[in-house]
Amino acid sequence: MNHFDEMTCLLYLEGQLDAAREEDLTAHTAQCGDCRALLQALQRETHLLSSALTEENEPIPAHLLSEPGQNQIPWAWIISLGLASLCSYAVWTFGIEPWQEELSAAGFNAQHILSLLVFTGAFWKGWSGMINTIQIIALILFGGVAFGVLRRRLRQRTTVALVLSILTLGFVLVQPAGAAEVQHKESYTLTKGEVVHTDLIVASGTAQINGTVEGDLIAFGSAITVSGHVTGDVIVFGNQLRVDGTVDGNVRAGCNTVVIGGNIGKNVMTFSNIFELVSSAQVGGGVISMGNQMTMDGHVHRDVLSMVSQTVIDGAVDGRIMLRGDDLSIGSTAELAGPVTFQSRNQPRVADGAKLASPITLEAEPARRYRRLNSVRDVVHELLRYGAAVVIGLILLTVLPGFFRVALRETGRYGVSIGIGALALMTGVVLLFVGFMLLFVGVRTVLSTFLVYIPLVYFAQVFVGAWLGGQLLRKNAQASGAMLGQLALGLLILHALRYIPYAGGIIWLLIAMWGTGAMLIALHRMLRTEPIAMAA
Amino acid sequence: MEGKQKPEPATAAEQAVIRERIARARAGDADAWGELYRQFAPAIFRFCRRAVPTREDAEDATMEIFIKVREKLSQYDAARPFSAWLYKVSANHCWDLLRRRKVRQDLETGEIEDLPLEHPNPGQLDQLIEKRNNEQVRRALDKLPARARMALVFRYYADMNYDEIAESLGVRRAFVGVVLLRARHLLRDALGARGAAERAAGGAS
Repeated sequence: MNHFDEMTCLLYLEGQLDAAREEDLTAHTAQCGDCRALLQALQRETHLLSSALTEENEPIPAHLLSEPGQNQIPWAWIISLGLASLCSYAVWTFGIEPWQEELSAAGFNAQHILSLLVFTGAFWKGWSGMINTIQIIALILFGGVAFGVLRRRLRQRTTVALVLSILTLGFVLVQPAGAAEVQHKESYTLTKGEVVHTDLIVASGTAQINGTVEGDLIAFGSAITVSGHVTGDVIVFGNQLRVDGTVDGNVRAGCNTVVIGGNIGKNVMTFSNIFELVSSAQVGGGVISMGNQMTMDGHVHRDVLSMVSQTVIDGAVDGRIMLRGDDLSIGSTAELAGPVTFQSRNQPRVADGAKLASPITLEAEPARRYRRLNSVRDVVHELLRYGAAVVIGLILLTVLPGFFRVALRETGRYGVSIGIGALALMTGVVLLFVGFMLLFVGVRTVLSTFLVYIPLVYFAQVFVGAWLGGQLLRKNAQASGAMLGQLALGLLILHALRYIPYAGGIIWLLIAMWGTGAMLIALHRMLRTEPIAMAA
Repeated sequence: MEGKQKPEPATAAEQAVIRERIARARAGDADAWGELYRQFAPAIFRFCRRAVPTREDAEDATMEIFIKVREKLSQYDAARPFSAWLYKVSANHCWDLLRRRKVRQDLETGEIEDLPLEHPNPGQLDQLIEKRNNEQVRRALDKLPARARMALVFRYYADMNYDEIAESLGVRRAFVGVVLLRARHLLRDALGARGAAERAAGGAS
């Protein structure tokens, strides 16, 4: 007699055979003890599986027994919204405003960041350049299709976040010079009398701009000389830059040596080893310089802000001068109309003939290397910062409990988190630097990029704090209340650590990297696991 | 299947209560949603606990599933049992989770030639089952490849039918039986019974 195979027997037990086959098997088992035994064995196996799977062998975690976030939202929201405004106030007052003031003092007048973003960002510039209606239609269509596709694939919230970040990117990123002329050669020369009617992008070993560029000049190369006329900005990355011609806009350079002898309509910003403003130079705006040596023989019509090791000033500066560095010497031909502040360990040297509006203010080397609670105001501010951090934690815990838990778990895997965080922050710094140099809209846009970074770094402490608190309290509390306690304790310790001389700063850098890394990994995880085809 | 803790209450009255809660939850009643949550969360947590590797993953998955369910509550077809729908969503979620983590080591699609056509020795299978307790079975289950484990959990914990399993695992319906049988074989192997239920005895039909 032919026995039925195991597959058929299983399907029979599960009621998956068609009627005819089922009858066959029923008839067969009536006579065949072996097949009957197999059916029984399989049935027993089913029972074993079923009871093993459904047995309540472990308790349900307490935090799963009550619906998450159900009761906490109202009061948490009320408190957090109130305190969140305090927190943004704190971030603004301690983080952004001083920066902005300094920049505006240096000739970068800070208007409202948002309006600047809208009207000078990629979108604005893009529209004016986009004369072609077809292009606009194509763009709208493309956007619509992309949104549709994304919406179907991703969850709504994810999509919104994605679209918002893309929009933000659009605002923040430079409009890729719409109709630029791109030159990529060993050596490039724009001869005298020649005119480029758009932006000019040059990537070559040496570049000589003797003609006229009616737009921006962006150049990468080892030696770049501008002796012609550029109506827009000059942005250069390379070894040497020499500008003897006329630039109506800004000059921004990341070069080893920058020499400027011409007429610059707006500001000069350099990150360079040696920066020289020769006597024929006229800078309509201000100068911001970072590097090793700076010689200023020319005329700067507004402020000078610099972090340069050695500075020599022989020329004229109409605005304020704020310097930080090792040495400052002011020559006899110098004419400084504004106040001069010098932050250094060393006394500045001032030649006899130098004309100074007021004596130089010497500030001790960067006043405090570490934080101290010197006054009631400091204590209040620190408490405010601490409170803000707790509130941010509370908001995260309430609004994004899933994210909070995943990020917290990633914080526990500190090696990976710190690594990823370090990488991310480093990339951020590089991007900021490149942004500084490249962005047409300039400083304010970079500042707004900063606005994206600050929350990230600010959130970082929340997770490190919560983790630390959890480690100290040694109980794996899952309820939000207990979590909040851990968070409060952890953050308190972190904020106290801030005041350890010297090490405090390093610890906080580590915290920023650590938490940021954990959040990025968590974000990655959640974005990877969330989009799901719901066939329900 | 005696001894199984069925999450879905059997009586019509209880069904009516659930239906009423769902209707209220759909209308935005947070209390009704809370009741639904408390009623079904334990079963879903156990489901996830069996389906995904770690307890933490199971906890997270449970929370995420309920967030999803709450969002999708309007799509639930009241003609079907709520728990069946819940398990379907959970199964998709867990499978997706594992797939995205690339935990799935076993083959995406089995070949029809792989259909095991043996007739194992019922006595040996019986012996194996006799000797093993629930705990041992659970430990063996944890060692199975994701798809095999998922198939067994879907079928013998959540009572999902073959269509639902096929859809959740992304296999053809005709393969569900094969997947289940292969999973049982792997489980027997994992239970340390190599050879017991294998090709030892019996002839092919």
